[in-house]
Amino acid sequence: MRNFRILIKFEWFNFRADKGLLILTMLTLFAGIYGIYYGTTEIERQRENIKTLDVLTAQNVEEMKQKFPGDADAGDIGYYHSTYAIHNPDSWASLSLGQRDINPYYIKLRLLNLQSQLYDTDNINPLKVLSGNFDLAFVLVYLFPLLIIGLCFNILSVEKEQGTLPLLLSQPISLPLIVGAKLTFRIMIVLGLALILCLVAMLWGQVTPDIRILLWLSVVLFYSLFWFSVAFLVAAWQKNSAFNAVTLLGVWLMLTVIIPALLNVYVAVKQPVPQALDLTIKQREVVHGGWDKPKQETMEKFFALYPQWTDTVEIQGRFAWRWYYAFHHLGDVAVADLAGEYQQRLHARHELVEELNFLSVPVNVQGIFNAMAGSDLPSHLSFLQSATQYHDSLRGFYYPFLFKQVSFTHADYDKEPRHSFSSTPDFTSTYTGLYKLVISVLLVFFIGLLVFRIKQ
Amino acid sequence: MVKSIAKKEFISTLRDSRFVALSVIVLLLLLAATMVGLHSYQTLQEEREVAQQTVNEQFANSADRHPHRMAHYGSYAFRPKSSISFLDFGMDSYTGASVYMEAHRQNSANFSQAQQSSSLIRFGEMTVAFVLQMLIPLLIIFLCFGAFTQEKETGTLTILLSQGVSLQQVAWAKIAGYSKVVLLVVAPALVLASLLLFGRGGFELNGDLYSRLLLFMLFYLLYFFIFIVLSVVLSALHQRSSTALVTLLGIWILFCVITPKATANLGATLYTTPTKAQMDVEVHEEVAKGVDGHNSGDERAEAIKQELLQTYGVATLEELPINFDGVLMAVGEEHSSKVYQEHFDELTAIFQKQNNISVFAGLLNPYLAVRHLSMGMAGSDFSHYIHFQNKAEQYRYNQSQELNHIQATKLKYGDKETRLSGDTWKNLKPFQYEAPGAGWALSNHSISLVALLLWLGLVCTLGIRLIGYSKIA
Repeated sequence: MRNFRILIKFEWFNFRADKGLLILTMLTLFAGIYGIYYGTTEIERQRENIKTLDVLTAQNVEEMKQKFPGDADAGDIGYYHSTYAIHNPDSWASLSLGQRDINPYYIKLRLLNLQSQLYDTDNINPLKVLSGNFDLAFVLVYLFPLLIIGLCFNILSVEKEQGTLPLLLSQPISLPLIVGAKLTFRIMIVLGLALILCLVAMLWGQVTPDIRILLWLSVVLFYSLFWFSVAFLVAAWQKNSAFNAVTLLGVWLMLTVIIPALLNVYVAVKQPVPQALDLTIKQREVVHGGWDKPKQETMEKFFALYPQWTDTVEIQGRFAWRWYYAFHHLGDVAVADLAGEYQQRLHARHELVEELNFLSVPVNVQGIFNAMAGSDLPSHLSFLQSATQYHDSLRGFYYPFLFKQVSFTHADYDKEPRHSFSSTPDFTSTYTGLYKLVISVLLVFFIGLLVFRIKQ
Repeated sequence: MVKSIAKKEFISTLRDSRFVALSVIVLLLLLAATMVGLHSYQTLQEEREVAQQTVNEQFANSADRHPHRMAHYGSYAFRPKSSISFLDFGMDSYTGASVYMEAHRQNSANFSQAQQSSSLIRFGEMTVAFVLQMLIPLLIIFLCFGAFTQEKETGTLTILLSQGVSLQQVAWAKIAGYSKVVLLVVAPALVLASLLLFGRGGFELNGDLYSRLLLFMLFYLLYFFIFIVLSVVLSALHQRSSTALVTLLGIWILFCVITPKATANLGATLYTTPTKAQMDVEVHEEVAKGVDGHNSGDERAEAIKQELLQTYGVATLEELPINFDGVLMAVGEEHSSKVYQEHFDELTAIFQKQNNISVFAGLLNPYLAVRHLSMGMAGSDFSHYIHFQNKAEQYRYNQSQELNHIQATKLKYGDKETRLSGDTWKNLKPFQYEAPGAGWALSNHSISLVALLLWLGLVCTLGIRLIGYSKIA
């Protein structure tokens, strides 16, 4: 044990003297702090934009009140007035932005048919989203392995190349002890750095303190240990530093870039999602076809779904709002199966990735982070569901005005339902992911141990 | 002497089984990426073509309708993929595939590939460009890191120099040898890609396509050459192979992993993107100050009304030879489109400013320079996307105005009932997107081009000169 401590102490002297390692560690620290800064400001910005939406809605109501000073026809209000379905970020989202930059976090809604509004996107700079988010999750998933590689690629080979290994071994210490001490020292450095960054991120982002603190830290711990195990496995092969560096970087490249890219291709082929073009074309065709169909036919179809309005006055003349909204809704009904299939296919795609993510630990870990932060695809799909329900409640709110022909007064604006949705963390995925991660670590470590024994 | 050094490097590399194995892996990935790219290109393109044809037919075969009804029925623009985007998907996976074009409203481009994927897509896509931009440089580093250090470690460099060649000459000879090796790895894939492009049906072959493809390849060859020279120079400046390798790998990580993301994020932090909600409200407010196409009550409509009545010398709107509804609608459309376009241009300018951080960073990082040039040639960059959006908006505007014109000339004032015969719609031209030429594409990337050439010049002059300072132990 004393020897172990001496070895650790000398590793510390070595580390302090080695400018390259110091620079590497500092670079990772800065990258981490920038990642935290970027993540929190981005989520802060989204929160502010969401706040502005309330102001915009209030402005819109004011405009409506001016446009229709007295009692208004609810049909006019439904047509000109808009509100927003809102997807609030989880407090953990600042640590892992996930898909929140690609999928819109609000949807502008009017009483018109839902399917023509549900998929509208926000202003997105494609180069920015192509390049991806520089958040803490990126630093942990991509850059920490590089730091570990940088610290460990010559863990044994450098002693050999400098000719110091025989000297060391001539002392009463064994090779496993040397490797163990060196690895322990590096693990302490990396975990210390990771702990500092994660705590800073949690405090800065003011995350909800729950079980996720423990989960997040365990994922970071095991993910770091995974890369240390990989480094150990390569070191156990006892080749020269150049070989180790190339091999480790090759493994990194394989796991963080090539396998994910190939997986992406496989998933796209295995779970094709037609680009939803059918859906968008069909909903227009049905809705606009509504103008050309006999009104009675439309209303009968509508009443079959909503019998409570059957007794309302028969529609006379060229135009009536309740008929207009009836055929808009029938448009949604006509594509309900297509829309359901679209979302279900996206779910299936996500599930396929979850099934296959054991092939790449970084993909698994990124998935865990996004699931914990509620920033992955299923969160967005839940938001779409919630927005759909909101649209239903809007219809529920306006239909009595339309069908009973009650006029819409200024007081009624306040009674209109408002929407707010917050994604919830997906703990099932998190636990499954963590379980897979631990298995990967153990697997690689024991293979490393085996190789080490054999080569020794 | 120089020739024999080059030859020696070439032959000894080919004898190195590890290098050959790596090359084979890279080559296989390159071939896989080509096939994957083609497959994905064809699926997406086919779907979009079918969709475009469907909506065009639907429009032409529409029932008898009031022209303004038709203007709201509108059309779709499905963005066709550029032919050589199969080599570099670029931003295509992150940009919307379809734009719904209707009267009074400019809609967003929806349904991007990225929105239809789990976060897996953010790890990057398997494309030829990815292999060329990231993996080949790594192969080059592996090939060249020992160029000088190995000779130093074995003591052969002093022997070589005693033959009367200078360090620079040795460097050039080695660069020539390595260049040949890299060409041997890359050429088969590039040839195959071209053969697939030209051999298979479905691609329209023209001069523009050739020049785009040629420039695409040329830029990559320059990029590889820069990496070869850079690696040889750094090898000469180091004493030990392992430190040379670590330095080069560090540079690769900085170039290919960290800076692209950092610069793009920095741009987005520095220049705030307005939300679509905010932008729509601003457009709406500014338009409200003008004519509201649906409401002839407001002041400017009144002014137009008086002007028309005076011009034609009649007393009421009913007596006008043209339909006032249509005229008003056209004026409203003109105004709102102008306001929208101003805001859209502002938004584009903000995006450009954000992107310029990455573009100018190309001066420090050849990876960024070649990445932009590559996307530009493949037609999957930012400018091509905006070009498409502008064309869609132009079409939307023209179609709305044409329908307003029909309303103004064929219908009577106040007539909301009359349906024009379905044949009327057959005369309207369907949306057809014509991608801009190679010259246009290149002109959007002049800074990246300068950056790439600057790097080339710099490594060939300053870099080679630096070799003179190399310590020969």
